[in-house]
Amino acid sequence: MRPRARHREFVPAMGFLLPNFLGFVVFTLGPVVFSLGVSLSNWNLQRTIPFQWIGLENFLALLGSAEFWLYFVNTGYLMLGMPVAIAGSLALALLLSLRLRGIVAYRTLFYLPTFTSGVALMILWKALYNPSFGPINAAIEWLTGWHGPEWLLSTCNLLGLDVEQVGLTLKQWGLGARDALIIMGVWTAIGGNSMLLYLAALTNIPLELYEASQIDGAGRWQTFWSVTWPQLAPTTFFIVVMSFIGGLQGGFDQARVMTAGGPAGTTTTLAYYIYTKAFQEFQIGYASAVSWVLFIMIFVITLINWRFGSRELNY
Amino acid sequence: MKHLTVCALVGLTILSLVAWAIQPRPIADGRTVLVWVSDDNPARREQIDLFNRLNPEYCVELDPANAGSEKVIVQAIGGVGPDLFDCYDGFQLSAYVKSGIAWDVTDELAKAGIDVAKEAWPAAFPNALYEGRTYGFPTNACTNAIWFNKDIFDRCGVAYPTGAWTWDEFIRVAQRLTVQDDAGRVRHFGFLCDWWNWPQFVAQWGGRLYCEDGTRCTVDGPEACQGIQLMQDLIYKHHVMPSPVEEAAMATQGGWGSGTITFFGAGKGAMALGGRWWLCTLRQYPNLRLGAVESPHGPYRVFRGYGRATCINRSSPRRAAALEFLKYLAGKPYNDLVNHQADALAPVIRYCFTPEFLHDPEFPAEDFNAVWRDVMKAAVPDQISPFVNGNVAGRLFEKQLDLVKNGQKTGAEAMKTAARQVNEEIAKALEIDPSLRARYRAFTQKAEP
Repeated sequence: MRPRARHREFVPAMGFLLPNFLGFVVFTLGPVVFSLGVSLSNWNLQRTIPFQWIGLENFLALLGSAEFWLYFVNTGYLMLGMPVAIAGSLALALLLSLRLRGIVAYRTLFYLPTFTSGVALMILWKALYNPSFGPINAAIEWLTGWHGPEWLLSTCNLLGLDVEQVGLTLKQWGLGARDALIIMGVWTAIGGNSMLLYLAALTNIPLELYEASQIDGAGRWQTFWSVTWPQLAPTTFFIVVMSFIGGLQGGFDQARVMTAGGPAGTTTTLAYYIYTKAFQEFQIGYASAVSWVLFIMIFVITLINWRFGSRELNY
Repeated sequence: MKHLTVCALVGLTILSLVAWAIQPRPIADGRTVLVWVSDDNPARREQIDLFNRLNPEYCVELDPANAGSEKVIVQAIGGVGPDLFDCYDGFQLSAYVKSGIAWDVTDELAKAGIDVAKEAWPAAFPNALYEGRTYGFPTNACTNAIWFNKDIFDRCGVAYPTGAWTWDEFIRVAQRLTVQDDAGRVRHFGFLCDWWNWPQFVAQWGGRLYCEDGTRCTVDGPEACQGIQLMQDLIYKHHVMPSPVEEAAMATQGGWGSGTITFFGAGKGAMALGGRWWLCTLRQYPNLRLGAVESPHGPYRVFRGYGRATCINRSSPRRAAALEFLKYLAGKPYNDLVNHQADALAPVIRYCFTPEFLHDPEFPAEDFNAVWRDVMKAAVPDQISPFVNGNVAGRLFEKQLDLVKNGQKTGAEAMKTAARQVNEEIAKALEIDPSLRARYRAFTQKAEP
């Protein structure tokens, strides 16, 4: 392309790109860089403490804080539903890719949780989890005779995580608020964007591969394992990476709407902790440091995913 | 392509002009608009209407969406804060003052002949006064008493309570009023209480949240622990108060924390610990026959005092106009309206000593107003410490109280942990804040012989 022609295209291209780029700089890149600076300071919205650059003190403080690790464990625990959610979305996508009458209606129904207001769903789930009158416990009681767990009111969990320190204790073993949030999260995720991605990926698998597997006499399971699953590997990889990122950043909405981070802080995740520290306790510097540690964790986990997960993409 | 670009630019320009043209503007009739961040209580609208009628040169507008100290502080520091904002406790006021957003109105109010310390209920002082200076005027004041449902008392054949009583006497009555149905489910509890009233239980046993000078959290003292233990015993030992699960069963939604007022209004409790402001909601239950009596007491006859105050944003360009609103809060029309609305008690003491306060002609059945007025004399505000962030301490206390409420810890175990954690926070604050350190040293050296 001649320089003159290139210049002629450059100006309109910039005209289109600039609004978005400026928005990105002002509303995304700027705050990100700003928060990095703030994390190295003692900035507190209560101005009794003179503003100071304190280097890595916030980072050292939070790494030595029992509270931070407790909420980190909470965040990790709430991500335990991730494999179930991914497997569930794949299973659902396989079902919804069948050529059935009214399949569009089924797809819409399963996608409903994604485009319904999150707050409305959470309020609905709170009612479902009512220990005395909730339909979930009613069903459990009808099926097993056992009254059912206390769900959102209980600090118990399936791993027996302690409430006040990082560790396990038999006293806390059972079903509680954290498990309730996991179940709700799995339900929401199964019919969500992962299912849509799998559906799109399934339609892109060349039919010749299925025909070839039929000719070779492969059964359904063999076809799935040798054709479908490898062909879905890039999509699965993408979903796993995005789920990790979402999981580490998650838990805020549920804590805000359903549990206020309780009981006894058991549903407080790192995202909710950042909010509490910054906007309720006014420790902006410390909260920014938590955000950056969270970012580093996400970044490292994503790198690990790339390093080991991308090997599986060479089908 | 060129035409498309030009069309897009022209379109965007037109849309921008339209947006600019229809943006909200100050009222064109010359009135000064003041934005007040407060809760969306219907009472607030009436209070604003009255001010706007009495002061036609001003127009106060309510902004309930930005209530919450974090929003007020962040917006005010960012230069887009409200003109007036509410303050609900002593820690909030200290946060507003330390953030530099609350205007010191001591001299301005003095010029207008208004003295919060002389005129208002002491229970509301921490919301308006900080370290000897005045930063606002109370909008109401309150303490807790016992609401009782006369129909439940009549059904159970229990005489209405009349006056000062101890918790032992109270528990005996509450047990008679806790009634189960044929299936063994509790039809109504003898007593309902919000757990955020826990400082009242601590105070009634002679306990303290912090030592006198605030340098140490003392909530692990035996007296404070006894008070907290009583709260747990009311659930698990005396069975007169609902456990979290039973509380969730009364609500339409399961979850952590539900509305005690609505439970009481719906007849799920015979008695409840609450303030006069409950009436704003309870008046909506037409068949509810209400009574009120002083709250039971422990070894000490004290009750939790609280309230609300309105402060002025120091960087508001309309702060002189906002001052008129504070003057309005100190005046008779506003105070009479608050008493009539039952938005707790009027902030100015003398306006609670009127015949209208005792017997509002519009609400003839409300013959219990003297109770709150009398109990206010024994109301003590929550203690705060200048050495710890009140929200951090609140979160730590709340976490331990959750465990007490769930029956996982005794009062003593929970308060021991809470005191240790709060004292650790005090130590951290002293480490990073030189002014606090100097103040702490001054206090502790004075205490040494």
